[in-house]
Amino acid sequence: MSRGAVLSPLSLVMVIVLWEMACRAELVSPLVLPAPSRVWDGLVILFTAPWFPQHVWLTTLETLLGFLIGGVAAIALGIVMVNVRIFKEIIYPYVVAFQVMPKVVLAPIFITWFGFGIESKIVMAIAISFFPVVINTVVGLESVEENASLLMRSLVASRSQVFWKLAWPTALPSIFAGLKTSLTLALIGALVAEFVTAKDGLGTLITTFSFELKVYLVFAVIIVVSALGLVMYGLMEYLERKIVFWRRSRFTG
Amino acid sequence: MLGAITVRNVSKTFSTEGTVALEALREVSVEILPGQFVAFVGPSGCGKSTLLKLIGGLLDPSSGHISVGASQVTGPSRGIGVMFQTPVLFPWRTVLENVLLPIEVFGLERRAATEKARDILRLVGLEGREGAYPRELSGGMQQRAALSRVLVIDPSIILMDEPFGALDEFTRERMNLELLRIWQERGQTIVFVTHSISEAVFLADRVVVMDTAPGRVLAVVDVPLPRPRSIDLMKSPEFAGKAFEVREYLGVAR
Repeated sequence: MSRGAVLSPLSLVMVIVLWEMACRAELVSPLVLPAPSRVWDGLVILFTAPWFPQHVWLTTLETLLGFLIGGVAAIALGIVMVNVRIFKEIIYPYVVAFQVMPKVVLAPIFITWFGFGIESKIVMAIAISFFPVVINTVVGLESVEENASLLMRSLVASRSQVFWKLAWPTALPSIFAGLKTSLTLALIGALVAEFVTAKDGLGTLITTFSFELKVYLVFAVIIVVSALGLVMYGLMEYLERKIVFWRRSRFTG
Repeated sequence: MLGAITVRNVSKTFSTEGTVALEALREVSVEILPGQFVAFVGPSGCGKSTLLKLIGGLLDPSSGHISVGASQVTGPSRGIGVMFQTPVLFPWRTVLENVLLPIEVFGLERRAATEKARDILRLVGLEGREGAYPRELSGGMQQRAALSRVLVIDPSIILMDEPFGALDEFTRERMNLELLRIWQERGQTIVFVTHSISEAVFLADRVVVMDTAPGRVLAVVDVPLPRPRSIDLMKSPEFAGKAFEVREYLGVAR
């Protein structure tokens, strides 16, 4: 085992212990920073509460739906842009412009347009997760090696053969990199939209508990949100390893 | 479609926006007979690769005519196999799947072709590696797989663009010998581009000597050395004489 593999978890344990000691010594107010043991109590409360799963489920659903709709639309747009030159020339500057815009500013507008329910959260998740996938799809499709195109041309391959047998698999690693980023972003989108206004969801729990000064519960929800993000990311990593299996060599040598 | 390759007064100029037009080839004429092994040799930038792509229909000449047999070359043809300096194997396909790529593209029956592909892989010494992925193969083995992908479609003409240029000297010599063996068995027309004079003389019936700026043909040297050829041939004074003759043409041009 590497030094990091031992020292990294050890440092976390030390931080938690010091944190707990500081709280017990009443160096910080529990309203500012609850003790780890208190956060643990919060987690127990959450996971035993009958109302908790529906919040987790709702935020997960918003994130995944936004990610899926946004991802599919983004890949489609990327494919069209690469294949229809003029379309790309017209639209690409706007894609880049939207990419640099902090899209969370749109959350209040989406609430106005799509209401307090799940729709506005999905739209926010789409808006924030869309562009990395578009750009990575375009970059991936355009990274086809010149000799590989020549090979397909020498075989008199049709346009669809060139796409499915060469361009699409060539682009997949890049598309997956975009999808991994955008899944995390979709979760952010859903949470931000919930912060603005919502009846349910993990983002709502965070704002509600904050107002009620139940900081230990806020921390507990933050841990749940982080775990949710980790699980989703891990799932994407797994899919990537299965689907883009030929890229393994880049990591294992 | 076994036929002679005729290149008549072919010029090729590349012009892209904002740059000075590049004259890659000027007034090139070459005749290649069916079943011949012809090598194009010359320094970088002499247009030998461009000429190869023109013959393969992968580029259009700016002027002049190229024909194969009775028909004019207007685009790529499925009777012509092309091999590049890089193996261009698809990393998501196994060796066998890579070799079968042309079969899929042509829409041919896969089962019969699979047997044939296995035979060819045996011929090039890749038996037992059919299920391997390209990254698991050495550079030499990757080029063998690329050669198999060309052979699987039974081309009457094979165009090779410095196919062994990226390999080490030993592997390269072995590949040359194997290429000669396969060619003698099957009798395709081979057009082979290289910047190695000894490789050109060793392999070819005729060596087309080219020079740069603009790319043009300096001379065509016949190499009537006996076949089958072995590495021992390189020791012979006849071989040395031919290699020197080619070198002289290239030297004169300086």
